[in-house]
Amino acid sequence: MKKFTLKPAPGEPLRLVEPARLTIPYRTDLNESQYEAVTSLDGPHLIIAGAGTGKTRTIVYRVAYLVELGVKPQRVLLLTFTRKASQEMLRRAAILLDSRCEQVAGGTFHSFANGVLRRYAHLLGFDRSFTILDQTDAEDVINLIRTKMKLDTREKRFPRKETLADLWSRSLNTITPVREILARDYPPFLDLEADITQLFKAYVVYKRENNLMDYDDLLVHLARLLQERPEVRKALNDQYAYVMVDEYQDTNRVQAEIVRGLAGERRNVMVVGDDAQCIYSFRGSTIRNILSFPEEYPGCKVIKIEENYRSTQSILDLANEVLVGGDRAPQSALPTSS
Amino acid sequence: MFGKSLHTKRPGGSLPQLVAAENENMQSRFVVQKILELREQGLPLEEMAVLFRSSFLSFDLEIELARANIPFRKYGGFKFIETSHVKDIVAYLRVLENPRDVVSWNRILLLIEGVGPRTSEKVIEDIQKRRVGLSPNMAEPVTTTTKFWMDYGHYPDGVRALFDALKEAAPPTLSPAEKVAGLLRYYEPIMRSRYDDHQKRRKDLEMFQAITERYRDVASLLTDLALEPPTESVVDVEAPGPEREFLTLSTIHSAKGLEWGAVFIITALDGRFPALRSVGSEEEIEEERRLLYVAITRARDHLFITYPMNVYDRETGVILTKPSRFLQGIGEHLLEPWVVES
Repeated sequence: MKKFTLKPAPGEPLRLVEPARLTIPYRTDLNESQYEAVTSLDGPHLIIAGAGTGKTRTIVYRVAYLVELGVKPQRVLLLTFTRKASQEMLRRAAILLDSRCEQVAGGTFHSFANGVLRRYAHLLGFDRSFTILDQTDAEDVINLIRTKMKLDTREKRFPRKETLADLWSRSLNTITPVREILARDYPPFLDLEADITQLFKAYVVYKRENNLMDYDDLLVHLARLLQERPEVRKALNDQYAYVMVDEYQDTNRVQAEIVRGLAGERRNVMVVGDDAQCIYSFRGSTIRNILSFPEEYPGCKVIKIEENYRSTQSILDLANEVLVGGDRAPQSALPTSS
Repeated sequence: MFGKSLHTKRPGGSLPQLVAAENENMQSRFVVQKILELREQGLPLEEMAVLFRSSFLSFDLEIELARANIPFRKYGGFKFIETSHVKDIVAYLRVLENPRDVVSWNRILLLIEGVGPRTSEKVIEDIQKRRVGLSPNMAEPVTTTTKFWMDYGHYPDGVRALFDALKEAAPPTLSPAEKVAGLLRYYEPIMRSRYDDHQKRRKDLEMFQAITERYRDVASLLTDLALEPPTESVVDVEAPGPEREFLTLSTIHSAKGLEWGAVFIITALDGRFPALRSVGSEEEIEEERRLLYVAITRARDHLFITYPMNVYDRETGVILTKPSRFLQGIGEHLLEPWVVES
């Protein structure tokens, strides 16, 4: 079935129900800091939720809270690390409140980008039936171009296709010049910089000519649409009044740009994460996103959720100790747990 | 960092153990015996997980688990969709959806007996020039319309057969499952001639066929495969067998967000965790530290961190003997040292 979504009328209030008339016992179901995170709605928020502290529960309740307040579920966007995660959260919110919660827009950055690009790819010179290249496809295309450009038959060793793909991807995701990454991680190939840059240029052209997008393109093209196409940004800002991002510690710079564009002027954006669990920098994610969020969003409220419901204290003591081991200077030692 | 410290109202609990084993196999045997012991005490296998830094670190353990008849599932290794036979089938679907997808054309043309890079390039050129015209404003996607299928009789035999198979699968009235069924009939002899283990691979394709039955259109099937691929492949993962109970083996990265009653972190050996190549910069080392933190916080009640004391690293010629640097110097009141004896 095709859907026609009515645009919100100007001046229409986002929330329609008085908090006093809500049915879910938020106060008793949640602990103090969880409750604060669930009920803080307007403006930028950073939720630091440690391992096993009920982070998922907090997001589930916040979705339910927004919907129960009368926010149209289609106007809430929840970006998660895997699709399974968002499906699970929305399913649980639906059990908690009602099936409206399943109408909330949820998914990964990549699937969200895909959805937007299927509508607007023509603005970037792509056909909307573009093919998504996975990791190995991207490597194969790079290899094909390398052969075409006869870069594989030189006397000097040229980087392998996996190395090239990784190099390009990291350059994009971390917004770092190729030269800098070569100097840091692949110094033997530094004098091939000119050839490598040529190859990457050809790769970009090739994908456009053949209607292909790799994983990074999905994000980069979405970020470009948000930046360069005010009509697209406006449409998305009108659509999504509340944006939530899970696992923010594992986002990369392009993703942070996307969040900024989606937050728009309203800035109703909540990012949730744990800086102690940032483990995806090999994919270009950067712990700086979460650390610098308060500066990037002036007026941001930071809420920490620290009570763990999962592990015994013995296990937590070890976990805390392993973490502070990296930073044993006495002035920065963390308070010991009760 | 946002200074914080986890605490709980759950009291005490037994101390986590740091278990040294003489070699990798002793480590595996320790893990197997502990798992059986915990299971005897009433903890089901689903409540236990073995976590490791890199996928290859569990190979020895996998053999011991099989020997002890402990069913397991492994996550975080090779992805189903990345196996070449599944990629082949996906490539057929892709050209039907996006006839301009040169990469997939190249893949399926080269699968044909007697078609080399040159023939493939010629055919692709012909497709691009004569068959897929772009709509002027790009707003309408290019599809395999009637024009696409005009006179392909002059192509070499194998290519003609490919076009026959594709044309048969093209009608939009066919469901994705029906399309795949037709394409599999065409692909079957190709797979038979290309892979010695085609029996095993056929199981993957059966699984793929089952997945396609959940979809109404090819576009959303392809999108999901690219963005949310199913992880298990019969070729690469031990089948869990008929029992429903199974142990989890996982890389730490794939264990993100999950929890178990008992967790084993194996080969917490300096040089493996952190890996030798990860110790380049301060930032990389700190990320490895956080990785160990993630692994530890997956455990609810029981935590065993194990390491073999004698591992030869081929790449550097170094013998690795020490526990992970992140665990060295941690007091016995937090982490109880054990040694495995035979």
